[in-house]
This record gives sequence, structure tokens and C-alpha cells, in this order.
Amino acid sequence: MAEESGNTRVYRKTMPPSWWTRKAHYFWYVVREFSALPLAIWLLLLLGEIRSAANGPAGYHPLGGTGFVIFSVIALFFSLYHSYTFLSLSGAIIHFKVIDRQFPSWPIVWAQMIMWAIVSAFIIWALWWFST
Amino acid sequence: MAEKTITIQATRFDPDKDARPHLQSYEIPFIDESMVVLDALNYIKTHVDGSLSYRWSCRMGICGSCGMMINGQSKLSCSAFLRDYWPKPILVEPLNNFPIIRDLVIDMEDFMHKLKSIKPWIIRKTEIPLGSGEHRQTNAQIDDFRQFSECINCMLCYSACPVYGLNNEFRGPAAIALARRYNHDSRDEGTKERLPVIADAEGVWECSFVGECSVVCPKGVDPAKAIQQSKLDTSLRFVVPFGNRE
Amino acid sequence: MHMFWWFMFAQGGVIAALLLPAHILVQGILGPLGGMPVADRHYETWVSALHNPIVKLYLIVLISVPFFHFAHRLRYLVVDFGVHEAKGMWAQVGFYGTSVAITIVTIWIVWTTAPIDIGALHLLG
Ligand code: SF4
Ligand code: FES
Repeated sequence: MAEESGNTRVYRKTMPPSWWTRKAHYFWYVVREFSALPLAIWLLLLLGEIRSAANGPAGYHPLGGTGFVIFSVIALFFSLYHSYTFLSLSGAIIHFKVIDRQFPSWPIVWAQMIMWAIVSAFIIWALWWFST
Repeated sequence: MAEKTITIQATRFDPDKDARPHLQSYEIPFIDESMVVLDALNYIKTHVDGSLSYRWSCRMGICGSCGMMINGQSKLSCSAFLRDYWPKPILVEPLNNFPIIRDLVIDMEDFMHKLKSIKPWIIRKTEIPLGSGEHRQTNAQIDDFRQFSECINCMLCYSACPVYGLNNEFRGPAAIALARRYNHDSRDEGTKERLPVIADAEGVWECSFVGECSVVCPKGVDPAKAIQQSKLDTSLRFVVPFGNRE
Repeated sequence: MHMFWWFMFAQGGVIAALLLPAHILVQGILGPLGGMPVADRHYETWVSALHNPIVKLYLIVLISVPFFHFAHRLRYLVVDFGVHEAKGMWAQVGFYGTSVAITIVTIWIVWTTAPIDIGALHLLG
């Protein structure tokens, strides 16, 4: 669209809502942000499962079924992508000094990834342990 | 052997005649492997079409005036080699997200205003008298802000930033990186004065960390990092009551 | 206020990043497919886990905190798609209010389902 600004006429392009299809990097950014939706739904399903445990043994329905498993596979993809981007990006942002020197970011990123692996292993173990 | 040529498709816009920009194709000789897009534009201007308008100065990635969209990517046209595109045609457009004045020339008024708004100078509570000699900094103190001081104001980051594209009120990558450059200078005491502009809704909080600014920056400034670190610091200023103040 | 919501966004992001993949893998895929025994497949084991106060606290954090992350991201995503209104006061009340509401509901559900047996705690002590 053209418009007057001061005494020169300028042309201003507007961003189409489809801007994120212009570059792969934009696209993956939108995937990263969109991951919030499937993860939110998955957590609400988990909350529903907890709620149904209040119905007594006969009324309890654990999450299951083909649809749920397929959805979980999709959610797992988004979840892993979220973990990877969030831990590596936040690792690069956290900044502190050790003896007057900026601490480099790669050990922070690695420490976060290792922490992720340990925590995940613990959760898997705990979910198994409570089943016995 | 026929002479090697390359096709340049450049945006043309004459504010007095055209309703909207259009593309014009030029086929020019590609004689030298070291030719960059800016050389091609200069060839067109001297040999083919003297009316083509664009900005440039140093030809060596220092002045920051030759930024353009080259095949849709924000680039310094003096650092974009023709050999990387040949034999395909090269699409040369003015920087995205800025009003177009003429051909490849954009209006940088808004950018200049934003740079100034973060007070890019050393602010002291009390000036150090000139007679007291140099104000020394250690290498570590310089390393604190060196990266953010490398900016050449080329505006590539603004042209790559969808947040700025959607909302011109956003303070933007280079300005916030520059604010951080001064906030982290050991001689500076102006963090609090810059805070209202930085911690504003149109300041760092507008950024959703797309991160493309840091990808296109020709100087490795990493403005995305500057913005996220500023978010973290401003949050911590309030979460940790006495930490991180100045 | 922005910095508070951003702070919560960051916390939620960390929680979701560290904890969620394991839960989705085990409770969403391996458990239902019978790949391994998982606490929530059977009423008795799941309820006995839910009785545990530490499990309760953990589940409250696991479910509620990420919603502050999700609310923030989805609000910005709506802005990215060109809906300028999602920046306004009401959109913020809507998005962040939802995450506050989900937090309250989560606390209530986790607290009242398989309530902590105060007597048993007393015996332990
Ligand atoms: S931060 Fe980088 S891309 Fe942005 S204006 Fe400065 S040099 Fe150019
Ligand atoms: S002409 Fe100076 S940076 Fe390209």
C-alpha cells in the first residue's frame, strides 16, 4: 500500500499472515510455539485420568485406545522438540560469571541435557516402581 | 566461448509515477568470480540504467548501508557473491519491514529514532573530571559488551524480524542489543534510565524469540541473545529483591 | 506484570521440557501398549501412588506450571498470525486467567482424589 509520509510518498508492504512459510527457520519457530497446544491437551487428559481415580475401582478408566496412543506419539514429537529447543536456547541465555569471567554457554547446555536424561530416567523408574 | 552472464531482477519504484513496486530484469556480464551483488548493481547503474537507486558506501561490510533482500534473505549486497547464485537469476529487493522510498532505498527514520531512544551513550551519575586521566577497563570488562558493540546499523535484523514486521512499535533487535552494550559497560551507570524503554511492552516483552535476527546479522552481534538476557535480567531484578540491581 | 508472566512462562517451559517427554512416552505410549508395567494402568497402584503427598505435590507442579508457558506461547502465536487484539488487556486476562484457573482445578482434583490419609501420616511420624 502506498502512503504519504512527510512530503515523500513511500510504499509500505504489509506482512501476510502466512509469513512463517517464507523460511524454514520461521516455520520451525511456529512449530516450537505450536507445541504448546498438543502438550496442553495431553496434560488435561492426564488430569482427567487422575480425576477418574476418584470414581472408585469400577469407575476408573486409565488412558488408552488407539486414538490416544497416536495422539501421544504426536505429542511426544512436539514434547521432544520443545525440550530440545528450550534447553538449548535457555542454556545459551543463562549467563553468570566465575571469577570475573563469563562462563561459556556450552557446558550449561550440556548440563541441562544431562539433567534432562537423569530426570527422565527417574520418572520412568518411578512410574514403574509405583506399579509394583 | 560466449561471455558468462547473470540476470539481476531488481525492485523498481518511482514514488512519482508508480502505484506499487515492480521488478525489472537486467542481464549483465559476469566476468569476475569475485563479483558481489553490489558490483552487479553498480554495473547496471553505470552501463545500463542510471536511474536505479540504492545505498552503499564502503564495499567491505563495514558501513552497513547496503543491506537488501537477496533471494528473500537479508544480506549485505557487498558481501553476497554472484558465484553463489549463478546460473540462477538473483532477486534483489529492498529490505523487508521498512517503507520503500525509491527502488532499493528504504526509509530508516524509524530505526534511527529507535536507536536514539535507548540513549546509546555512556551515562554517569557524576562525570569523571577529565584531569583524572583515562578510565581504564580490563579485558574481561570489555569482553562483557564487545559482542554487542560490533553492530554496524545495517538493519538486516529488523528486516528479518517478523515481530517488527507485524508491529513497527517494537523497539527491535539492534536497539536492544545496543542498550545492552551500554548497560554492560563498566563505565556506564545508566541501566535504570534505559529500563523504561527496554522493559516496556514494546521493548523486550514484545519479542517472541524467533531468533532470525541473529541468523542474518553479518557481525555476529546475536541480538536475540541480548534480548532474552535482558528479559531474564529484568525479571530477576524483581524476583530477587536485592540481587542484580546495578 | 509482563515480567511476572514471562517469569512464569520460563518456569513452565523448564518444567515441561524436563518432565513431559518421559510421561508421554511411558503413560501415553508404553503403558497403553503394554510395553512395561505402569502405575496408572491399574486402579489400586495408581491410587496408592496418588495417596503419597510428594506425588501429589509433583503432579500439581507437573500439570499446572506448564500452563503458564502454554498460555504465553499461544497468545504470542495468535499475535504472530496477525491478530493484534491478542496483545490487549482482555486477551491477557483470558489466556493467563485460564492458566490460573487450571492451576486451581489441578490443585483441587489432585488434593481430593485419593486424599492423603492424615492418620497414616501420624503413624509414620
Ligand atoms: S545487530 Fe547485526 S543485523 Fe542488526 S543492525 Fe546491527 S549489525 Fe546489522
Ligand atoms: S557497502 Fe558498506 S556494508 Fe556493504
